[in-house]
Amino acid sequence: MPFGYHGCYLRIDVSNGSSEYVPIDDTVLRQFIGGSGLGVRLLLDEGAALIDPLAPEAPIVFAFSPLVGSPLTTSAKFAVVSKSPLTGRINDSLASSGFAIAGKSCGCDAIMIVGRAPELSVVIIDERGVRLEPAIEHRGATCRETEAALRARLGANYRIASIGPAGENLVRYATVSHDGRHAGRGGSGAVLGAKNVKAIALRGKQRTEWARPQELTTISKSLSKRSFGPATAKYRELGTATNLLTFNRFGALPTRNFQSGTFDETASLSPEELSATRSKTRESCVSCTIGCEHIYGGTRVEYESLFALGSLCGVSDADAVLRASQRCDELGLDTISAGGTIAFAMECVERGWLDDLFKEVAWLKFGSGDALLRAIDLIGSREGIGNLLAEGSRLAAHAIGHNSIEFAPQVKGLEIPGYEPRALQTMALGFAVGARGADHNRSGAYEVDFSDKVDRRHVTLDAVRHAIDTEDKAALMDSLIICKFLRGVFEDFHAEAAEMLRSVTGWDVTAAELRDTARRIVSAKRQFNLLAGWTQAEDTLPARFLNTPLPNDPAASLSRERLDDLVSEYHRQRGW
Amino acid sequence: MHVEFFGVPRERAGISELDVQADTLGQLLGKLATQIPSLGKLIGLNELHPAFVANLNGDRFISDPGTPLGKDDCVLILSADAGG
Repeated sequence: MPFGYHGCYLRIDVSNGSSEYVPIDDTVLRQFIGGSGLGVRLLLDEGAALIDPLAPEAPIVFAFSPLVGSPLTTSAKFAVVSKSPLTGRINDSLASSGFAIAGKSCGCDAIMIVGRAPELSVVIIDERGVRLEPAIEHRGATCRETEAALRARLGANYRIASIGPAGENLVRYATVSHDGRHAGRGGSGAVLGAKNVKAIALRGKQRTEWARPQELTTISKSLSKRSFGPATAKYRELGTATNLLTFNRFGALPTRNFQSGTFDETASLSPEELSATRSKTRESCVSCTIGCEHIYGGTRVEYESLFALGSLCGVSDADAVLRASQRCDELGLDTISAGGTIAFAMECVERGWLDDLFKEVAWLKFGSGDALLRAIDLIGSREGIGNLLAEGSRLAAHAIGHNSIEFAPQVKGLEIPGYEPRALQTMALGFAVGARGADHNRSGAYEVDFSDKVDRRHVTLDAVRHAIDTEDKAALMDSLIICKFLRGVFEDFHAEAAEMLRSVTGWDVTAAELRDTARRIVSAKRQFNLLAGWTQAEDTLPARFLNTPLPNDPAASLSRERLDDLVSEYHRQRGW
Repeated sequence: MHVEFFGVPRERAGISELDVQADTLGQLLGKLATQIPSLGKLIGLNELHPAFVANLNGDRFISDPGTPLGKDDCVLILSADAGG
């Protein structure tokens, strides 16, 4: 067994509470590393692609990595990997902090949960082993309430991941939450909810050894030092919320369900404005030197939440947007999918297309903070129109009809993040081909659009290799696992990643090997999707983006033919 | 020409925009470093630190210090790391 690993995963069947430590071959560890890569591989072995993600036998994996527990900054991360109930495709969501360290300290490199508990339960893993305890009294509790209650019950040194009411109610974009952070995208919270698992509580003492501790310390110090430099200044000093004004200036800020790329009232949601009338504090994940979390008046603020619950829904009332973001956190909802689905519904209401389905929906209108908050609560509880919106925009569009699928803001069922594809066309390709659907964390192609490598509104086939590079890099970072906010500090990421992995595992791994590893992981995700029924026809964008130039910027136009060419070239270069 | 700052450059500059006369990108950056010393760490020898980028008129990103600029141009200076 290599250093940095336990060489096994813990497989728990919550139907009967049984568990076993299953060995993982060294070759598998080297080929897939950990995190997303290892999780996908374990799911493939389990045949998960062919299983309904909400069925009892569907597996969900919490995957750690060889770097977890090391002094490397930002390495306290874990991946939650399953088939998505929102997309029916692979889903890997990442979250941070103490749960990753505690999970690995339980003596395994991943935890797989299958089955369905007879009643709402908490899975407890500690020195006594694995057991299920009832969690009936936590039904309906928010993620934060659940964590606090379980720590009061079990002990302060347990680390807990939990679902909120949305997960219990099988909202297809429910999150798994830990310490206020979320494995947010794709509905892993619903997968746990379908298993009657309210929470997983961990405490462990089993540490792994590092192959070259002195070398690891030197690398860690260097990385930490660089993490205080200019490449991370944006995250430290302002947080991702600062994107709002920048994207608006470039006409790339999705507004009113992608009907525009600019929002006249953007300034009201900007960090400058938010901090003018609210207290502001900063927090970090465990083992992180960046500290990207900017908290305004008690609410953690991220660009994606501000865009999805703000401009995308036409809401400029900062109090309402912050409250909506907080409410999503409490319920355990992905803010991007919540905002995207609500914005889609707002447009359908505007067109009168929901009148046949619901008695009274006129309240659900663009710009209304009250409507936004009401819709979020209805989604969390699956009441009224919330039951439809809990399905996500793609399934909702199929129910609504009127060809509304043309402007349902999703790819493969996953709602599109805050990057207007017509204004950022390398990102448009990244969205179209993404294994888990439209996502900015699995493709960093927007970086290419914000560079002199391409003309962002008229990309050519030359953009494809750049898009592939960013996708490969993301796959590697998500498997090591290292936070993507560090990406700017590396001069040669693959070489440095190889150094990190060498010092932890003792493997003679090289940059070239890691490039192959990244491609292998991307291919494994594709293999999962192929088994689940994927065809190339899914690698596209909604018709809205291909039929209509951006109203605020007619030069931002992306034809179906051009996107198809980009996608075909992507597949060709991938060798698929 | 007009210069607009976004994100960290705006925070460091303490202003969101200003007008400057310059014939090239390099000249512009040199003047900015002189006029606004707090931008010093962002600007090297007439070029931006790799963590920051310049854009011309919201259209194309520019990095060559010799890039010619006209009086009606608008240069945007922002963090290279656009994501979140």
